[in-house]
Amino acid sequence: MFGQWESLVIFTLLNVMLTVGVYVTAMSGQLSLATAAIAGLGGYAAAILTRNFGWPFVPAILVGAVVGAFVGAFIAAVTLRMRDFILKLTTLAFGEMIAVVAFNIDYIGGANSFTGIPAYTGFWSCLIGLLIATYLAWRFDGSRLGFASRAVRDDVVAAAATGISVLQVRVVTFALGAAICGAAGALQAHYMLIVSPQELGFFVSLNFIIFLLFGGMYVLWGAMLGATVLTILPELMRFTTEYRHVLFGLVITVVVLFRPQGLIPRIPTGVSGRFSRVGKTARQQAQ
Amino acid sequence: MNLFLQQLLNGVIIGSTYAVIAIGFALVFTVLRVINFAHPDIFMVGMFGGLLCAKYVSSNFFVVAAASALSAGLVGLILERAVLRPLRGRDALMTLIATLGVGIMLENGVAALISPDVVAFPPVISRQPIDLGAVSVSKPQIVNLIVSLISLAIVSYYVRLTPYGRATRAVAERPDVAAAFGVNVSRVSQVAVTLASMLAGCAAVSVGLLYGNAWAFIGLAYGIKGFICILIAGNRYFEGVMLVALALGILEALITGYLSSTYRDAIAFLLLIAVLYVRPNGLFGSYST
Repeated sequence: MFGQWESLVIFTLLNVMLTVGVYVTAMSGQLSLATAAIAGLGGYAAAILTRNFGWPFVPAILVGAVVGAFVGAFIAAVTLRMRDFILKLTTLAFGEMIAVVAFNIDYIGGANSFTGIPAYTGFWSCLIGLLIATYLAWRFDGSRLGFASRAVRDDVVAAAATGISVLQVRVVTFALGAAICGAAGALQAHYMLIVSPQELGFFVSLNFIIFLLFGGMYVLWGAMLGATVLTILPELMRFTTEYRHVLFGLVITVVVLFRPQGLIPRIPTGVSGRFSRVGKTARQQAQ
Repeated sequence: MNLFLQQLLNGVIIGSTYAVIAIGFALVFTVLRVINFAHPDIFMVGMFGGLLCAKYVSSNFFVVAAASALSAGLVGLILERAVLRPLRGRDALMTLIATLGVGIMLENGVAALISPDVVAFPPVISRQPIDLGAVSVSKPQIVNLIVSLISLAIVSYYVRLTPYGRATRAVAERPDVAAAFGVNVSRVSQVAVTLASMLAGCAAVSVGLLYGNAWAFIGLAYGIKGFICILIAGNRYFEGVMLVALALGILEALITGYLSSTYRDAIAFLLLIAVLYVRPNGLFGSYST
């Protein structure tokens, strides 16, 4: 459909979809470094169903999303007490462990990767997947739980003091984000026709964190913009041959230096100010 | 028993290298509250600085080590001045992304300028194994251990016993109060980043000698272990980070010796989840951000 640009268009759509998933996870203050592993699990699950059991495409993707959701909920529950963003980087351990396990299971090809997946994914399925993911994230953003999760992100103590269940919020956001990632992974598996354990590591997941923060983690459109720009940019810089990754790193650093709030900054709502006052009072009473 | 002693020794050696890298993360984190993701690549720059020196200048070990410490320290100095200082007090996550960008630049820059493949590290020290009865060690292993232990001793001495070290701990506790008491926060963070980078450079040369090769993308493998060590230990006590790094090295070596090397890398991650599940601030406690 897009000639030589088709793979770039599809990868951009998939990367944006994955970043939407990471955005939803990050809404409640959780930085997931297991994105690639969750997407990989979704891909494995869907590919096993379509290749080995002859399932049709759509149900297989839904199973991929469900697998992602369960893994996400589990990770959120285990890392619940780790409060700081930095400590949330512990999620990288889950991703790496999933990768090690995938390396050692022969049924899914082990180190030789899972191959022979039917080619179901095209431009339209990726676009529909992205639209559904964006719609879910957008509706969640404006929902009661969405507000609760932003409150948790801005101040855990204040949010808990106003009666928000931190556990519920974090499990739901991680599960929803991971479901989107799982579905994106399933789509990707049926386009690449291969799922390999080498691609599950945290250095792949790190890319989506870069996309998210580069665009701005507080606004959905910011995250999507970041993913689009940073997926297309290396392709546009192809003429610089081997120095293009150097330029890529330079662009990231320079943009952060000049726009430390991300491309699209947080929209002031006035809610967070009230929250921090509540948090201060709650903390003083606790002491 | 021999296997146990041998693996114990190997573990202490690899663990001490993890410790040097982890201490670099911890030094920068305590002062700036930022994870410096360019640190593993500064380690790699030190390795190539040493390699170039050994190839073209001198193959005396001390000259090579000095060259790598200088090249890594220089990169650290520039990083602090150009990236970390302008972003100080900003969102720590954005600084993380900026340092990641620097790391991408460094590794791909070295890959483009020198070689994207694994290259041989000149044998500055002979790799002849020395038989000690129960265990055998090679000269590079001994050098690696000594370099790491000296680095850790330097950090301990610097943080505990020098005026700058005292200022470092003050800034770690409360940057604003420290500044109000006359501590030059910029200078302290500059010294911390440069010191961490120079030590990483020395460690890189000893690792290069140990395995006889260098690679532009080697930072990741060591960086992730060092990073895990400070997550497990918490960033409050440098000695705690060293202890965890040594324990991790020994554990990995024992698992390689007695079980299988396929699950060696999983142990670090399992340990990380288990420890942080029970103690969410790390074994020895963390500063809150």
